[in-house]
Amino acid sequence: MVHWRLFGKMGAGMQKFWLIGGAMALSVSASSYLALASQAEEQHEMTFFVTSEAIGDGANFGGLEGADAHCQMLASAAGAGGKTWHAYLSTQPYDGQSAINARDRIGEGPWYNVNGTMIARDNAHLHGDTLDLARLGNNVTKITNLNEKGEIIYGFGDFPDPMDDYWWYVQTTPFTNRHEIITGSQPNGMSYVETDIDHTCRNWTSNAAGTCGQNVCRNGIGPMAQVGMSDRNGGGNGSWNSAHPTGGCGQDDLVRTHGHGFFYCFAID
Amino acid sequence: MRRLSIAVIAVGLGSVMGASLASAQRTLELPEMEFFVTSRGMDHGANLGGLVGADGHCQMLAETVGAGYKTWRAYLSTQARGGQPAINARDRIGTGPWHNARGAVISADQNELHGDTLAQAQLGSNLYKRSALNERGEVVNGVRDNPNQHDILTGSQLDGRAFTDDADHTCNNWTSEAEGSAQVGHSDRIGGGNTSWNSAHGSRGCSQRDLINTGGAGYFYCFAID
Repeated sequence: MVHWRLFGKMGAGMQKFWLIGGAMALSVSASSYLALASQAEEQHEMTFFVTSEAIGDGANFGGLEGADAHCQMLASAAGAGGKTWHAYLSTQPYDGQSAINARDRIGEGPWYNVNGTMIARDNAHLHGDTLDLARLGNNVTKITNLNEKGEIIYGFGDFPDPMDDYWWYVQTTPFTNRHEIITGSQPNGMSYVETDIDHTCRNWTSNAAGTCGQNVCRNGIGPMAQVGMSDRNGGGNGSWNSAHPTGGCGQDDLVRTHGHGFFYCFAID
Repeated sequence: MRRLSIAVIAVGLGSVMGASLASAQRTLELPEMEFFVTSRGMDHGANLGGLVGADGHCQMLAETVGAGYKTWRAYLSTQARGGQPAINARDRIGTGPWHNARGAVISADQNELHGDTLAQAQLGSNLYKRSALNERGEVVNGVRDNPNQHDILTGSQLDGRAFTDDADHTCNNWTSEAEGSAQVGHSDRIGGGNTSWNSAHGSRGCSQRDLINTGGAGYFYCFAID
């Protein structure tokens, strides 16, 4: 059973919490789709996950190559290294390089999380390429947005903790809001072009501190990284891939607005 | 939630140098509530006594928290039946902006709420589990809460308009607690394979038990139009 594997990764207190919720969800027939997910588990290998660990140097991932390698490494540790993994990140047209769109890097789908639940059929579904698709939304939700270990990414309202915006502190506990997922992308999965504003921390090579000190800073200048919300809560819109920019590119900047420098990984084969 | 707010204010006082008490207190002056999810259903499934009954329920609940001086409307569509034209939920709720019981803006206007342009629809509105609060400022139970009550009656399509086909999507215009089906959205935007707040799937039936069995309680959205 997919859900019990997930719970096994949690601390005892949380385990109880989720077990109660999970048991209710299973007993209440609202979970017909959960049953579907369980069936699907046997059929579909993981082709999508949120990174369980940050690289730890802010938004300096060593470029797309470094980010892809991080995906591949985490996938390998989870037994999914047989596939080719790419980070869902865009780059901007700096220094004569052409822009790269995150959506063009992730294959054609459908994509499934570690439990075999489909998060989107294809790029049009994932990104809402038509008005109806966009209004309806994809299946990227807090409970499907799992890391490669099957763990939920805690988000808005989970374990409110006044220290949860300090990197030194959040490394000591798994139970803080860390829902900001780095994408460097617009809602349609495309790169930011025709702008001088940096949304990709110099194409994932910068860990430059933000310019606003201890305050949250979204000054529209940069350096910064565009993030989405893994729990679809917060940022004024709940976008999974393009809610707002960070206040800088340093690790402390990412944590200040409740991210760890996680990103989405997709298998392209 | 109240304890949290106080904690946040306390932290703010402690860490922001030179912040006067007065400026901290200003943050307590929240915008007035113009949006909530009903904290309870009407106990007769999707029989709400029509739009009039549902509006009355919104008004009554608003009054319990001191917001009865506004005019409240239920976010519900009705279908063309018996010579009566269809009514679109989106046309009933004013023009916005709408704030929740904690002062957070849900949407600036109709276009944002319903995603009327592709860019707006892709981005989404500020209506999600942690902002779709009931009139008391409480988060509505969703997936993995006990019990899950995230199915919110709307009878509406994604664009906030009434269905135009022959099938029943409004439990006979909110008068049936037996046969029929009601289109629902999800206040936590989880489930049904999508993230729609207003048009995720149809209910199995119209009775209170039917609504409960699919993860609902007969709740609906209420908006102030003035």
